[in-house]
Amino acid sequence: MNKGRRIRDGLALARALPDRSLVTMVAAMSLLASLTFTGAVGARSLSDRWAKGAANLVTVQVPDPDKATSAAGRGASAATRVQAVLANLEAAPAVMRAHRLDGAELDRLLRPWIGDVGTAALPLPAVIEVDLAPGQTLPDPLISTLKTEAPGTLIEKNDDWRAQLHAIADSLLWCAGLATLLVGVIGAAVIGMATRLGLGARRESVTILHELGASDGYVAGRFGRRVAGLSLVGGLVGTLVSLPPIAVLARLMAPLAGGGSAEMGNMHGWWGFFTESLSSLMQGSAPQALLIGLGCIPLVVTLIGWVTAQVIVRVWLRRLP
Amino acid sequence: MIRLRDVTWHHGAMPEDGQATLRNISFTVPQGGFRWLLGPSGAGKSTLLRLLHLEALPRSGEMDLLGTDIGPRVKRSALARLRQRIGLVPQDYRLMPTLSVADNVALPLRLQRRMEAEVAQEVDAILDWLGLSSRRNARPVTLSGGEQQRTAIARAVVVRPGLLLADEPTNALEDSQAERVIRMMRELADLGTTIIVATHNDTLVRRFPAPALHLRQGRLTVDE
Repeated sequence: MNKGRRIRDGLALARALPDRSLVTMVAAMSLLASLTFTGAVGARSLSDRWAKGAANLVTVQVPDPDKATSAAGRGASAATRVQAVLANLEAAPAVMRAHRLDGAELDRLLRPWIGDVGTAALPLPAVIEVDLAPGQTLPDPLISTLKTEAPGTLIEKNDDWRAQLHAIADSLLWCAGLATLLVGVIGAAVIGMATRLGLGARRESVTILHELGASDGYVAGRFGRRVAGLSLVGGLVGTLVSLPPIAVLARLMAPLAGGGSAEMGNMHGWWGFFTESLSSLMQGSAPQALLIGLGCIPLVVTLIGWVTAQVIVRVWLRRLP
Repeated sequence: MIRLRDVTWHHGAMPEDGQATLRNISFTVPQGGFRWLLGPSGAGKSTLLRLLHLEALPRSGEMDLLGTDIGPRVKRSALARLRQRIGLVPQDYRLMPTLSVADNVALPLRLQRRMEAEVAQEVDAILDWLGLSSRRNARPVTLSGGEQQRTAIARAVVVRPGLLLADEPTNALEDSQAERVIRMMRELADLGTTIIVATHNDTLVRRFPAPALHLRQGRLTVDE
């Protein structure tokens, strides 16, 4: 007995299942899957980043900031309402930093609406940016204290923004998931059609093998191995082709996601930007989930090819007793 | 041994006239038995051989081949294993067009995963015996009818099957070669292979007397 040896059985699948067409089609499907997957991971990481930022940033507006404070509390020693609010915020353990915007910062903030007139003459509230410690929120007793000491104080917690960002990110993920699934189904259909064509071309040989006692598993295995091999090559080609655009996309998204700069100034134009992006991707600058996912695409495509070929051939063989 | 009892077979649904291709076929051939299968063209000889080669399954009745009951619940894997023990010489030879003569003959052995040295030895011996050694590397399309028939015979007997079925195995052979082939089959039968040979060649039947199965319009009679 010689179980593992491949035998000359006359199927000649290299001719029945030509490599070029199937590899090209699978490569195109893998390219689409890679780009879709990258889009999903990018959307997810951006929304996470933004949602995290929105959740940790609270804006506090104190009207009539320079009036005397109205209640006793932690900031009772403060002379004005804004000083009282700031003192209470800075004393809270959940708050990492509380910063009151100065006149210049307010001017910059409002320039789109009021132009270069300046804010000095306007009765504006004091605006305080509060950075919370990760995972922390402003406690309700603190909010009550702020509103007691400086009635009319407005606190914008950005929770709605975070919920909306998550909803958008989830929608994008669902769309990307559906698109990937669709690509997988179309890929399986393409592989299935190629397998059926191969079976049609070798109908006589397969029937003879069947009559000589070849099991369904043997014939399906021969087709499965050939299709899986071609799918692996197509998957690798498609994934490799997708890397340059993915690298550029990752580079462009880096500043939005809190990474490095995407500027081209010191990179000798587009080519420098492109090569720098690619080498940055190769060095693992992209999210780990993205790299693992891209690495899995050729393997998943191979599995789809093998399973599809096995099913198609076994169903076809059922016509024979 | 093979045993059939009231076996019926027909294409698709039962014909409206109730005339199945094979009707109530019953016979037994012991291990090592040799039988002629005789009858006019269209009597159902090839269909019966296809049935015995498991290319079709009985619609009704009982069939036992080499100790395996071919009932409705028989597993496909069991049928595949059983086919490896049945040699068939089809009327149309059914050789693999992409393989050489030697590889065609070696195919059943290789499907049984025999060692390559053993395969080469068996193939060389049978090709030599059937006068095909000089054509061992030729493709079927380049062979004469007689050479193709001898290749099909070599492929059927190379595994020393438990059951050998031959459908007009000598119609493309010269008389001397035909006699040689039948003599070889009789020797195989003596070694324990059960053999059924369908033929129109009365001379051959007279030259090698043996019990005969007569098929006429799908019905079988046994002449012991």
